[in-house]
Amino acid sequence: MENGGKRGNHFFRENRGFFFILPWLFGFILFKGYPFLSSLFYSFTDFHLFEGIHRIGLQNYQEIFRNKKILAAFATTFRYAFMTVPLKLCFALFVAYILNFQLKGVKLFRTAYYIPSILGGSVAISVLWKAIFKDNGIINLFLSFFGVQGPNWLANKGTALFIICLLRVWQFGSSMVIFLVALKSVSPDLYEAASLDGAGKWRQFFSITVPLITPVIFYNLVTQLVQAFQEFNGPYIITQGGPRGATTLVSLLIYNNAFKKYEMGMASAEAWVLFLILLLFTLILQRSQKHWVYYSDEEV
Amino acid sequence: MKKQKIYCFLAGAVLMASLAACGGGAKESSASGTSGKTEAESGKEESSGKAEAPDSADSGSIRMSWWGGDSRHEATLKALDAYMAENPGVKIESEYGAWSGWTDKIATQLAGASAPDVLQINWNWIYQFSSDGKGFYDLKQSKDDFDFSQYDENLLEQMTIDGKLQAIPIATTGKAFFWNQQTWEKAGLSVPKSFSELLAAGPIFKEKLGDDYYPMAAGEYDLMMLLTYYMQESYDKPWVENGAISYTKDELADGFDFLKKLEENHVIPSQEKMKGDGADSIDKNPNFIDGHYAGLYEWDSAVSKMQGALADGQTLVLGEYPADYGKPSTIYKISMGFALSKDTKNPKADLKLLDYLLNGEGVKTLGLERGIPASKAAQKTLSEEGKLEGLVYEANKAASKNYRFTLSPYYEDSKLKDPSEGAYYEIMDNMSYDHEDSKELAQQMIDAVNELESSKA
Repeated sequence: MENGGKRGNHFFRENRGFFFILPWLFGFILFKGYPFLSSLFYSFTDFHLFEGIHRIGLQNYQEIFRNKKILAAFATTFRYAFMTVPLKLCFALFVAYILNFQLKGVKLFRTAYYIPSILGGSVAISVLWKAIFKDNGIINLFLSFFGVQGPNWLANKGTALFIICLLRVWQFGSSMVIFLVALKSVSPDLYEAASLDGAGKWRQFFSITVPLITPVIFYNLVTQLVQAFQEFNGPYIITQGGPRGATTLVSLLIYNNAFKKYEMGMASAEAWVLFLILLLFTLILQRSQKHWVYYSDEEV
Repeated sequence: MKKQKIYCFLAGAVLMASLAACGGGAKESSASGTSGKTEAESGKEESSGKAEAPDSADSGSIRMSWWGGDSRHEATLKALDAYMAENPGVKIESEYGAWSGWTDKIATQLAGASAPDVLQINWNWIYQFSSDGKGFYDLKQSKDDFDFSQYDENLLEQMTIDGKLQAIPIATTGKAFFWNQQTWEKAGLSVPKSFSELLAAGPIFKEKLGDDYYPMAAGEYDLMMLLTYYMQESYDKPWVENGAISYTKDELADGFDFLKKLEENHVIPSQEKMKGDGADSIDKNPNFIDGHYAGLYEWDSAVSKMQGALADGQTLVLGEYPADYGKPSTIYKISMGFALSKDTKNPKADLKLLDYLLNGEGVKTLGLERGIPASKAAQKTLSEEGKLEGLVYEANKAASKNYRFTLSPYYEDSKLKDPSEGAYYEIMDNMSYDHEDSKELAQQMIDAVNELESSKA
């Protein structure tokens, strides 16, 4: 008995870390692991919410690569991601750089620039965006003061995606804060030394600042890319994927298949293709690190 | 920068971001929440009694959901409060909201077995969510708990699948033409009685009132129903017969030519213009509200909402059915019904409530908020109260006289009708945005409708 008790205590001591994470693990398995794996299973079925389920092998995946609408949604998602991520990161870095100077009222500006990120993902902001860019919205009203008739921003195939991108770029605050912390960690001695050697501001920026914050650029790039590929709120609320599918991103397509057509099997397959694309991009970026990301504690 | 330091501050940044995300999420859910509780229940929130006395009609908790505009919400909540005052043992939790997104919400609830006990449903939902008749509670099991004798057998039959009564028909509704009297007067015209007058009015609106005034507004689905009206009138055939579209490609191309003529003649705005207005529906469109769009082909049950949306000093009047191409043939159907969830715990209590709302005292409070009631008792009550009059009633009467063909139950299937994925929307946009050839559009319509009909056969 006594030995058993000792063994139990020993087991608990040896594995207490595991017991601490047990609640998280339970939640993870129940709310992430199980849906994740079941969606993989469903992707090989024709699971319809109201018409039952049958195994159909790879048919959903074949359909994804055959169906023009689905391929167009993937192409639009690529366009969206490759427009928003570089723009957002450049903008966030630029503003962070400016806000890193000791300017008067800089704290106020930092807060002001961060606010869109807090509001950014909300439904209310998407509704506001819609009101700003509608035909008789604020933007076109403003343009009309100068005698310019603004385009039909949300209803025009050429401009609608740009408007959705703009919403995402406007939410640059969180990336900006991360850049700002990184910029603050760069030692001022390096700038001073460079300055004594005659390096101007631009040279300092590209030769000192950028290399030293590449780990943070890498982090922001990966997270922003993942978020961009998963964007949903903007197109769902502002344009509902229109006009003519011009803003139908993959996430919206997945939603439509799942909750409008009730085709959970196809929706799961699309979600898995999206996941694999993101995995591929993340791995490529991870591999590319050694060529452009600089960690100061690495051996040179 | 040291790797450890980077990880530390990244962890901090992620924590900050996730906290911000939590804040945003909370806002989101409260902003999108549309469910509500009636006044009478607010004081007794704690004593939920779903499990109590499941076989009693006078006690227990009932979850009820519906969609609609503000006036429907107010009337329904008032009727439910009155019912709870009369039946203190019953607690009703109401869930209500606008139409937009409602189907998705209900579909998710049905699939997740978390649907309310009593649901307002669209007629076609019984085919969409209960194709084998097992999706909703079979009301034939509770024949004695509700006065079904108040309903025409024909209507109950339309609500039956595989011998199982899926829902109680609330009202019938039909499509009718409504015109904004003041705008037409401003254009110096009387409201049109024919398509030729309507087509002639377009250029006059443009010239006298301006480029942004149109005799009529029509979204993609409205265009679809206008097409149906035109086809049924011109060719004297129902839209769908024996599980297939009844028109040839050439006949349908003629229909698309008609729709194109409406757009070319400045009768209706293009879909690009409509979408650019940034409104989810016509009643929320500022151009309709202020009278720039001066007409609709609309359900009679929705006209109160439309009239209510108009700015002060503007009124909608009922138009005549145009008969230029033959005998008018509008769309007329059961507009909606009340169904019980197949998992409801207390059908007796649910049906007693519905009897009150549809056949009993509740009718006086609900009035015509859901259209002209299908219940004979309700019609009698409203007639005695002098409420069976006005635009909704007149429009319904006119529609019932001008319909000749029964609508296919799959006409409104989400594969055709859904704004994001539906074929109707895609085809009408192909016409309005891309100006595709009418014969091509006709073929697309034939393919889409026939594919759906055959898949349901």
